Amino acid sequence: MADNHYGGDSESEDDNFNPAPADLSDDEQDANDSSPRVSRKTDHRSSSPVADEDHDQDDDDDERPAGRATKRPRTAADDEDDEDEGGEDEEEEEEDDEEGGGRRGGDDDEDDEEEDEDDEDDVQHSHRRKRRKAAGVTNWFDIEAEVDDEDEDEGDERDGEEIEDFIDNAHPDDIADSGGMNDDRRHRDLDRRRELEASLDAEKQAEILRERYGKRAPTRGYSDMAVVPKRLLLPSVDDPGIWAVRCKEGKEREVVFSIIRRVEERLGTKNELPITAAFERAGPNSVMKGYVYIEARRQNDILLSLDGILNIYPRTKMDLVPIKDMPDLLRVIKTPSLTPGAWVRMKRPAKHAGDLAQVLDVTENGLEARVRFIPRLDYGVREDGNGPDGKRKRPGIPGPRPPQRLFSESEARKKNPRHLQGNPQTNSWTFMGDEFENGFQVRDIKIQLLDIKDVNPTLEEVTRFAGGSEDGTENLDLKALAASLKDSSSNVAYVPGDVIEVYEGEQRGVVGKAVDVRGDIVTLRVTEGNLSGQTIEVPNKGLRKLFKLGDHVKVIGGSRFRDEVGMVVKISQDRVTLLTDQTNSEVTVFSKDLRAASDIGGQGSLGQYSLLDLVQLDATTVGCIVKVDRESVGVLDQNGDVRQVMPSQITNKLPKRKAAVAADRSGSEIRLDDVVREYGGQQRQGKILHIHRSFIFLHTNTTNENAGVFVTRAGNVNTIAAKGGRVTGGPDLTAMNPAMKRNPAENNRMAAPKSFGPDRAINQTVTIRRGGYKGLLGIVKDTTDTHARVELHTKSKIITVPKADLAFKDKVTGKPIDIYSRGGRGGGGFGGSGRGGFGGGSGRGDWSGGRTPMASGAGGRTPAWGGAPSSSRTPAWSSNASGARTPAWQDGSRTANPYDGNRTAYGGATAYGGSGGRTPAWNSGSKTPAHDGFGHGSKTPAYGGGGGGGDTWGSKTPAYGGGLSAPTPAASGGADWGYTPGASGNAYDAPTPGAGLSAPTPGAFSAPTPGAYAAPTPAPISAPTPGVWAGGWGDSAPTPAATAPTPGASGSGYYGAPTPAPFPAETPAGGGYEDDD
Amino acid sequence: MSENYVAPNQQRYLRACMVCSIVMTQARFREEGCPNCEEFLHLQGSPDQIESCTSAVFEGLIALADPSKSWIAKYNRLDGYVRGTYANKVLGQLPDEIRTMLEEEYRIQYIPRDGSATEAD
Repeated sequence: MADNHYGGDSESEDDNFNPAPADLSDDEQDANDSSPRVSRKTDHRSSSPVADEDHDQDDDDDERPAGRATKRPRTAADDEDDEDEGGEDEEEEEEDDEEGGGRRGGDDDEDDEEEDEDDEDDVQHSHRRKRRKAAGVTNWFDIEAEVDDEDEDEGDERDGEEIEDFIDNAHPDDIADSGGMNDDRRHRDLDRRRELEASLDAEKQAEILRERYGKRAPTRGYSDMAVVPKRLLLPSVDDPGIWAVRCKEGKEREVVFSIIRRVEERLGTKNELPITAAFERAGPNSVMKGYVYIEARRQNDILLSLDGILNIYPRTKMDLVPIKDMPDLLRVIKTPSLTPGAWVRMKRPAKHAGDLAQVLDVTENGLEARVRFIPRLDYGVREDGNGPDGKRKRPGIPGPRPPQRLFSESEARKKNPRHLQGNPQTNSWTFMGDEFENGFQVRDIKIQLLDIKDVNPTLEEVTRFAGGSEDGTENLDLKALAASLKDSSSNVAYVPGDVIEVYEGEQRGVVGKAVDVRGDIVTLRVTEGNLSGQTIEVPNKGLRKLFKLGDHVKVIGGSRFRDEVGMVVKISQDRVTLLTDQTNSEVTVFSKDLRAASDIGGQGSLGQYSLLDLVQLDATTVGCIVKVDRESVGVLDQNGDVRQVMPSQITNKLPKRKAAVAADRSGSEIRLDDVVREYGGQQRQGKILHIHRSFIFLHTNTTNENAGVFVTRAGNVNTIAAKGGRVTGGPDLTAMNPAMKRNPAENNRMAAPKSFGPDRAINQTVTIRRGGYKGLLGIVKDTTDTHARVELHTKSKIITVPKADLAFKDKVTGKPIDIYSRGGRGGGGFGGSGRGGFGGGSGRGDWSGGRTPMASGAGGRTPAWGGAPSSSRTPAWSSNASGARTPAWQDGSRTANPYDGNRTAYGGATAYGGSGGRTPAWNSGSKTPAHDGFGHGSKTPAYGGGGGGGDTWGSKTPAYGGGLSAPTPAASGGADWGYTPGASGNAYDAPTPGAGLSAPTPGAFSAPTPGAYAAPTPAPISAPTPGVWAGGWGDSAPTPAATAPTPGASGSGYYGAPTPAPFPAETPAGGGYEDDD
Repeated sequence: MSENYVAPNQQRYLRACMVCSIVMTQARFREEGCPNCEEFLHLQGSPDQIESCTSAVFEGLIALADPSKSWIAKYNRLDGYVRGTYANKVLGQLPDEIRTMLEEEYRIQYIPRDGSATEAD
């Protein structure tokens, strides 16, 4: 197309024009061809140089191929003709010419445009006429228009139109001014111009050509782009589909490159790739990781195309992206741009990773920013460290980095003067290749190396920047800070109950109370306005906490005022000023860092030091902490001075000495918590907090100064009230009497007889008689002189209770017992009787002798007793045994053993009750662990006969582990027995069993057991036993049987002591038993 | 033949043209210029111009096999460009004078590729 014009007017171009009526074309021909006419025209226009130009061009036109010139102007001419025929002739001509000229200078485009314009002319020629009339001397534009026309190959419609207008405008002038011009001069001018243009022409045209050529294609593309908005580019069903294809994460980009390579390799071959495009968007924070998206017509095309490409798995996973989702795949979201003043964090250099920096300037393309930050300089100190050991510091690994400190010129000069250059006036320096301004390091950093989002600058950090200004004033740019902080709404935690205001988005202005917070969505119950009472959900992005003046709030984070508590005194947007409770100073924080406070005073401790603690400051100075700040504490020292110290300056904390005593002015003893008043001076009155040597620290509620703490000398106060109504009538002489001190017990009541060994109370069952745990049952685990640690039955908790508050109970019967008295009795007599009883037991041995085979078995077992079983049981045993009181008690706890014995006896008894033959079985059963017993059982014919047989036994044995009751019944078989089990079961849980046991026992017992023994002992013993048993034994179930013998045999020796002969008598169980009977 | 393939070890030198978003290595920009925008960006042999008109920070990579038929190309306004690799998003903005030149001399409405034009639609 572009060539057309230059190559001469082609036919095709001519075709573009509206065919002109034939008659008029003649006229036109005349106009262009007849020189007289031209000259006439020039005459007319002589006054205007522009006209000259026009004329020249007319001439040029003349040279142009006639066909074009003739046809072109037709329409316009028509128009004009209609209105004023004669006078406007020239005008017509000129316009025609002009158009011709325009065409000459312009391009084919313009031809088209002119054509368009011609059409337009038809429509609006009247309008144009008016303009023509109104126009002044705009001739000058002619030239420009001409030039423009030539230069601007592209020439829009508008340009063309304007040109036309200009020329039209020129017409009236031409007409008016025509006349006074010299023909010759104009001709000469014309000639000159022609020459000039001829010389220029080639160049110009070449240039035009080139410009037009190069620009055409892209320009077209861009103008298209500009026109079509994206929403009109949405995909349709005719567009290819997009499939998401799984690929190896991290390799997305490589895959895309592999695809383009394959595309290009196969290009033009017969297996050209059928896909149209592929893309990935796996940025560092993208959700589209692990996928490459392929655009193609058919899914099969993709399989075909991707076959054999590494790291992409079209066969494992490939999803068609729905058409409506396709634009989302390509959505581009603007990265928030950096603005000067904003806060960022640096990722690199490693030395400054994570450091806060402030943007000073951003390069035009937005890819680099000049930031300032606090340098971490060691002024080359460590430089030397590298040399001696011959190792070069590896650049990748930063050592311990120096702390952030503002650049100090003097230090730099001192340490490394060679590398320092700069200007003290502007306070800008270059040191070791880094730039410093006003103490800050300044550097250009690529934007990739900065963290822009979620910066969360703390006020401390920011203040360091603010404080650095030259005049020392705080020029904190809260706005920039707020902007930085607002981005990071992520760390704002709303909790249900917060009063929240929506300040952004559709629901702006809504105020409500948070009722639920889930992820980023906060559910609000609206409290004000039209929506009042409704519950709405809002994203937490546009929210802020709302406070009212006077609210009591606590700073919860994000600033150095954390944990300050105070009252809101001023609110400006989301900045809240509060008056702190502790220091009465005003602080300003963001509302997101506040929370309604329920407590007052803020934190009372810093590390291990808390308010009112006595601390040692140095060897001779102590002080009381009267104020706790975030990083330091205020200490009132013994001299009455308050000093602010860091925790590190405190030597140690002095524990509160409850026993500390001092003497007041009158010599009365004063202790902690006594109320005293100063004598003389300010006569301050206070409660004693600490006594340190002769100084006392007092606390008063009458003043807030130093948290109400003041210090004075002990000798300078009078006692007002002593704690606990202690008589303070005078010095306690007894306390002062060394003699009395030396022998304090002299005049005391007789000391209780010393009891040796472990406290008998241990392992006793007790109830608590007083206090919060009153009424609860427990077991004493440990004791001191005054207190006992009791493990509660109700919950597994060990509490400490004064011994006086304990009531000892019998384990089985629950009757109150007096362990100490019994214990006292325990020792000798007990042993005797106990042993006697045991003798009975051994009698039992005899008795078992009847059972003899078993007896041997028992004998064999006895050692076992000494060994394994005893060991397991031993603890109870030995403790019991050794303690004087133990025995008695023992019976209870140890009951197990006796019990076993008894039980064995029992078994025996049972056997008796049932069948003698079974007894042995029973023995064996009881002694032997389950299976053994089993064996025995099975072997015992009697048993089998008498009871449920082997099975019964079997069942019993396991049952043993589980509960005592089970076995018994089996053994018993009889109704009585059945009873017993139940009883023992009970006994198990609670000591009660007496009842149950008693039933069977008596009968059984009496039968087998030798007289004395049987009657008293067994039953009661047996009664408690189960309980104990159950607790301690579990498996050892059999052992009891063993036990039984033991006491008899070996027991007499060491067992004897404990043995319960007395016990039965004493034991309530006995009673119980009787009752039961 | 595969001129648009960039080996992984060269990918760190990739840059994207801010006008047409084509992704090439810096070296190739220098040697060949931008295949779509060369006539007005004049990147060829001009590192400074490359520095200011292309960006090393871009997101997403599109392998454009058939610009005329691809909807992806159409949506990203890449139809009419040459086959090759393009970025989805190019951070950075053209220098103002180049922008002005584009719009006034070449009648091209510059649409930034950094996402800032999205709101306009």
